[in-house]
Amino acid sequence: MEHSVTVREITKQIIKRFTFIEILQGMALTLRKMFSRAVTIQYPKERRHIAPGFRGQHALAKNQAGRAKCVGCGLCAAICPSQCIHITRAKGQVDKYEVDILRCIYCGFCVEACPYGAVVLTENYEYSDYKKENIYMKKDKLLSNWDKYMPGKKGEEYFDKFWRPLSEDFGTPPGQSVFKGKKE
Amino acid sequence: MIQKEAEKIFETRELNVNMGPQHPATHGVLRLVLDIDGETIVKVTPYVGYLHRGIEKLGESLSYFQALPLTDRMDYVSAMSNNIGYVVAVEKLFGIEAPERAKFIRTIVGEMSRISNHLLWLATHALDIGAMTVFLYCFREREWLLDLFEMICGARLTVTYPRVGGVRNDVPQEFLESLWKFTDEFPSRILEYETLIDQNRIWLQRTVDIGVISAEEAINMGMTGPTLRGSGVPYDIRKHMPYDAYDKVDFDVPIGTKGDTYDRYRCRMLELRQSNNIIRQLIEKLPPGPVMVDDPKFTLPPKDKMMPITHPTKEIAYFILEKACKGCGMCMRACPAKAITGEKKAAHKINQALCVNCANCLVTCKFKSVTVVSGGKGLSDEKLAELAVAPDQLPEDIKQAQQLLVKQFEFIKKGPKAPEGDLYVATEVPKGELGFYFVSDGSGKPFRMRLRAPSFIHAGCLPRLCVGHLVADVIAAIGTIDIVLGECDR
Repeated sequence: MEHSVTVREITKQIIKRFTFIEILQGMALTLRKMFSRAVTIQYPKERRHIAPGFRGQHALAKNQAGRAKCVGCGLCAAICPSQCIHITRAKGQVDKYEVDILRCIYCGFCVEACPYGAVVLTENYEYSDYKKENIYMKKDKLLSNWDKYMPGKKGEEYFDKFWRPLSEDFGTPPGQSVFKGKKE
Repeated sequence: MIQKEAEKIFETRELNVNMGPQHPATHGVLRLVLDIDGETIVKVTPYVGYLHRGIEKLGESLSYFQALPLTDRMDYVSAMSNNIGYVVAVEKLFGIEAPERAKFIRTIVGEMSRISNHLLWLATHALDIGAMTVFLYCFREREWLLDLFEMICGARLTVTYPRVGGVRNDVPQEFLESLWKFTDEFPSRILEYETLIDQNRIWLQRTVDIGVISAEEAINMGMTGPTLRGSGVPYDIRKHMPYDAYDKVDFDVPIGTKGDTYDRYRCRMLELRQSNNIIRQLIEKLPPGPVMVDDPKFTLPPKDKMMPITHPTKEIAYFILEKACKGCGMCMRACPAKAITGEKKAAHKINQALCVNCANCLVTCKFKSVTVVSGGKGLSDEKLAELAVAPDQLPEDIKQAQQLLVKQFEFIKKGPKAPEGDLYVATEVPKGELGFYFVSDGSGKPFRMRLRAPSFIHAGCLPRLCVGHLVADVIAAIGTIDIVLGECDR
């Protein structure tokens, strides 16, 4: 009995060895994939969908009057782990608000630290340039980023969702996401 | 005589070859100096440190809250697991515990990170050995997971999502649904990878009996994670010292038998299935509840409660009450806009034209002499003096907002204080055991932060795995221990 098993196994191995069965299986799989839809995108022509709350280039939020919400308390500069935010104030408002983009690590702590909801991270990730000065973000550029990337309701939604913690994080808000059973 | 001549002419000696630091198969900037006799390895000397950024030292100059993004940049292919390791350690140091829901979410994202790490490992390992197609298929699934990370926190690789005392924000419903769909499909995708390489004769020739290490030796060398489990040691911190929600799920620890490269590969493939299983269990059990611990000492205060002061429509003005001001000059020094003037030991005054309403004076004043005047912006000093009331008599919501604002400033500028002492906390990251050792002197920053990085220890095992094999097997050995040099050099 034992003998026959070994014989069968040996024949199996011999068949495997000479028929290239596992390689053919792999080839069949790759051939099947040729007829399925492509998963790649042609980048500069096609863009991938960017989720809301993406941590890209900064913007300074504006209030309804169209002025910067920022008061210049300096908390964002204090929390920044890479120390890339520089602020000066003059005449009752923020004079200079500069972000050294090349130092920034996009942790999003500045958004979290700001009690005034004045700084956001937008979905802009394509800002490479040939000159260092062009990527050194100054106040007017940051304010124009707000109009460009957070128009209309988008800015408010950003603060609702990603300006944390809110008091609902310390409690149980209604409509919290839970598993709702398998979808058939 | 002739023999001596011949020996002189045909003298053989070992060849010294540099492999790396710029070598695609060394997974980063690892430099190996190989002493080879023909094609056989005689000696391997790994040199590390090309990616040293001083994360341990940087941690000493940042508060416990601030140092979190540094851990992203250690093992950048599984940043989430590293974050979790850090916050679990800091939570233990502070003596707080994250709420149930936060623990579940952290475990889910931790396992997602394990899957995405193993996928990248499989992709590059197979690519190194010569199987190109697996690389493409693995990245297809990894992309899905990275998109899910982007959905919850806005970043794909350097996530900075967990926080000390919970997580940054709750997960949306679409996230759970998309992840559930992923776990439905993923087992069939694992089968695809296995169809391609599991029985492939080239794969078997390149991995079976390569880099064999016995269980005893592996333990002695300090191996952890799947690299150790491949040798048949069922050591898994998730099982033996459960953290977060691992004690609430049911999973197996897959182990190998022989301890060769193929066994370690099988181990990781089985781990992918286990992780998938863990995620499914956790999604089903995910409880409702808070995602941040309700301990104001260790978390940022809720932003909406500060709104009575910080909302732009409130038109706040700050005013110093003459009676209460002792003239200590603290607010004058704290004011970034230089709007406060006054003589020593006389009441100070805020120049409303220069004031930017940043609340720094409110935070620094110890005598409760700075007060908030709602709707007072642009008014004259006399009018403000009429309207101003002592901080104790302000409306309840403004009083609360004022206290929280003070807390926010203190939290950010000083950081929450940790109790004195030291502790070591280990967590199971995809690579192995990631340990954080903190020495605290009672201040807001660690006195010493030491990391036990699995990649560093595994890189030290390379000579043991390579000697006696061929040069091409060095590539397989580097792949099988799954190192990331960002973590190794820190």
